[in-house]
Amino acid sequence: MRGPIYTLSRRLLALALLLTLWLPTIATAAAAASDADRITELEQELQQSLRLIAELTTRVQQLEGAKAQEQGQARPGAPSGGGRLDAVESKVAQIESASAARRGDDSGLAMHGFADVGYGTRNPFNDALKGFNIGNLDFYLTPRLGDRTVTLFELVFEASDEGAVSVDLERAQVGYVFGDQATAWLGRFHTPYGYTNTAMHHGAWVNDALRRPSFLQFEDHGGILPAHTVGAWLTGTVHGANGGKVQYDAYLGNSQQIVDGVLDMRSGGNDHGKLIVGGRLGYEWTDGPVEGLTIGVHALSTSIEDNALNRTQVRVYGGYGVYDTDRWEHIAELYFFGNEDRSGTTGRHHSSAGFLQLGYRAAWGVPYARYERASLDQSDNYFQAQATGFSYTRGSVGVRYDIDLKSALKLELSRTNTTDRTISRVNEILAQYAIRF
Amino acid sequence: MRSAVAPRLHGGVLLCMLACASLGVAQADEVYVVCNTNVSLRATDVRELFTGEKGFAGSVRLAPADNGAVQAAFLEKVLKLNATRYASLWTKKAFRDGANPPLVKSSDAEALAYVMQTPGGCSYVGSAPPATVATVAKF
Repeated sequence: MRGPIYTLSRRLLALALLLTLWLPTIATAAAAASDADRITELEQELQQSLRLIAELTTRVQQLEGAKAQEQGQARPGAPSGGGRLDAVESKVAQIESASAARRGDDSGLAMHGFADVGYGTRNPFNDALKGFNIGNLDFYLTPRLGDRTVTLFELVFEASDEGAVSVDLERAQVGYVFGDQATAWLGRFHTPYGYTNTAMHHGAWVNDALRRPSFLQFEDHGGILPAHTVGAWLTGTVHGANGGKVQYDAYLGNSQQIVDGVLDMRSGGNDHGKLIVGGRLGYEWTDGPVEGLTIGVHALSTSIEDNALNRTQVRVYGGYGVYDTDRWEHIAELYFFGNEDRSGTTGRHHSSAGFLQLGYRAAWGVPYARYERASLDQSDNYFQAQATGFSYTRGSVGVRYDIDLKSALKLELSRTNTTDRTISRVNEILAQYAIRF
Repeated sequence: MRSAVAPRLHGGVLLCMLACASLGVAQADEVYVVCNTNVSLRATDVRELFTGEKGFAGSVRLAPADNGAVQAAFLEKVLKLNATRYASLWTKKAFRDGANPPLVKSSDAEALAYVMQTPGGCSYVGSAPPATVATVAKF
């Protein structure tokens, strides 16, 4: 039987259930109302804080101004606002000076270099040899001794024809930079004639072609010109107003000597005190349709003796042109000799040499072709005394493939005809692996 | 209320991200060449400065530094050289003239710090530089 108590219990239970279901709804609504209130409250607090910050900022400025006035009155010598600025500037200047001094004292020295190895049906510099060969290991140093003093040292290890390793200080230059317009060097440098001799140094990697033209090789590789000079060299560029610049070089140094058939630059001086003097003048277009083109002229005069004490006044003059862009590398050089026999009676002798090289910088490599020719008077003591002072022609085609930024493979096919001292024809296939580091 | 605010917040964040991303792209497209305030250079000098042809601004010895973070854009827009040719050019320059190639900084912040601290210092950055350096050109 269901009595009033049971009915009441049922009603209470229903009420409890109802409350259980309803209360959370109330709580949620209350929480929502509470959040809205809280946000409003926070916004008000934020506004109050901002007002307080503004008031405090104004007060701080007032106090700082009052304090500065008090200090100014108390210490007339103390820096005012402008004085403080001067003090700060002075401090900055001191810091800059210290920084400059530290920079000037930079004695860190990075060593870089080049090396190459190769294979050939003939040795690239001596066609009596064939097979694998090591080229040279070329270290160069450019320690910076300050803002104005510059240095360049190039130390080369190379294998001789007999396989012995020799060491040569190919360049040893110390210079003073007057500005972009002039740098004066003292020491041993590459004689500034034509383009190749000061652009393609001993490191094979630098040259797109596998080797220099034969007559422009370095002295111990068969070159017939004084590639090195020990002396003084003034060089610089002067910028023109219309996108070009004039390049100039003037130099003097010890007259070279022919020792055992090879030109020697007399690094320690010569015994007669005679000098080589020369210069080069060029113009480079740095803008416009012929940007990258350089043309110039060069001349030198030197008094050269050989082992037989023949003395020849060697006079060389000529011109050069270079078109060096991202796409092309064309080089042409001409040399005329007007040598005078100063120790005998053979008089004046005229000879000439030159080459034309065309190169294309493709994405995959640099194919090139070169024709070179030397027509040298064999009655001229200067050429007669040199082991490689004979006339020749050479045609070459080759390609350079850059494996990466620091290494390149080169392949060259060439045919050389010697035309006077001996008559011969030599075909060569040469390969070279050149690196820089 | 939360359910109404959250989508707006998410939308705002997304918008900001897109705006920042587009801003970032725009900054990478611009290159500012900057120098120490003791250097006076023209925009036309920039190419020669970074190819080693210009070593002085008046009596001030210039000390350029590359900024690796922006170098690709700089080489393309300003020097019009690819990285290979640029490296080759400096190798030859160093070997021929005894010149030292520019130092390499890794970020705008490093480049700016170098320029501010180095008399004659110059570099380039990918975002608008502060007034504490001299802006030579914007490319």
